[in-house]
Amino acid sequence: MTSESTPKYTPLDICRRFVTSVRHSAELGIEVTDASEQRVRALMPWQEKLVGNPDTGVLHGGAVFAFLDQVGGLAVVTRIYPEFEITPTIDFRLDHLRAPGKGKNLIGIAECYRLSEHVAFVRLSAFEEGQEDEPVTTGLATYMRMKIPSENQFRKSKA
Amino acid sequence: MSDPLKTLIAACRSGEQPYQALVERVPYARFLGIGIEARGEELTFVLQKADSNLGNPTLPALHGGALAGFMEQAALIFLLLEMGEPRLPKTIDFTIDYLRAGLFRDTFAECRVTRLGRRVGNVNIEAWQTRRDEPIAIARAHFLLSEDSSQS
Repeated sequence: MTSESTPKYTPLDICRRFVTSVRHSAELGIEVTDASEQRVRALMPWQEKLVGNPDTGVLHGGAVFAFLDQVGGLAVVTRIYPEFEITPTIDFRLDHLRAPGKGKNLIGIAECYRLSEHVAFVRLSAFEEGQEDEPVTTGLATYMRMKIPSENQFRKSKA
Repeated sequence: MSDPLKTLIAACRSGEQPYQALVERVPYARFLGIGIEARGEELTFVLQKADSNLGNPTLPALHGGALAGFMEQAALIFLLLEMGEPRLPKTIDFTIDYLRAGLFRDTFAECRVTRLGRRVGNVNIEAWQTRRDEPIAIARAHFLLSEDSSQS
């Protein structure tokens, strides 16, 4: 695949391809719904296998974490696009404000609010679908920017 | 906290049930594939190498979120067993520092309760793959300890 014949991908296309390639994120059922340079929004469906408390059906904090870690990484990807970099997480903190209800899908929103030469700073939140004024979880994360030396590894790996 | 869980914790402590039974009751812990190795009451948690926990497919690398979920679940079980009269821990916050790349292999974790108060427990968790003194991630979490889950 040459760069001339490669179609221009939208940030949303890039995010969806990314999630598809990450096995654990596919297992979580993450679906990216909106993506721009400023913000990424995604949905994680409630699933029985992600339950942390079998008595109440509340999702495990770890599942919410894995979801938001992925959405945060995508926010860095769209902020850097059309460049591609590897962006491992440096640190990540989540506050669980309230428990999401049983059977409720989660919406995750991430915003890369500062991109320095080496580090990306991201804020995150999660809501029950349809309740986007009342976060269940908020978080902060930093990601390392590792420049890919050759021209475009992401497309290469798909070629 | 439900009576069956209290009974199960007592059975694990007395050796009538393996600690693994505390993993099996949590769907998410089963999904990740968590194991518990016990030497007496010393517990090491194991996240078995699994395709479903892969992040970057080309390296291949363990998903940072799966690692965090594993460490949070390890802390929850550890805390349950540390309390004289067990109360249901609910995660207030969880903070993780990633120190090294997690590779496609088994991951181990050990926990330490830094402070166990009446309402809040603070737990530190370390995870490693090849050597214990080379952790791939360290985390700490606060848990709210409620008397009865039906009241919250």
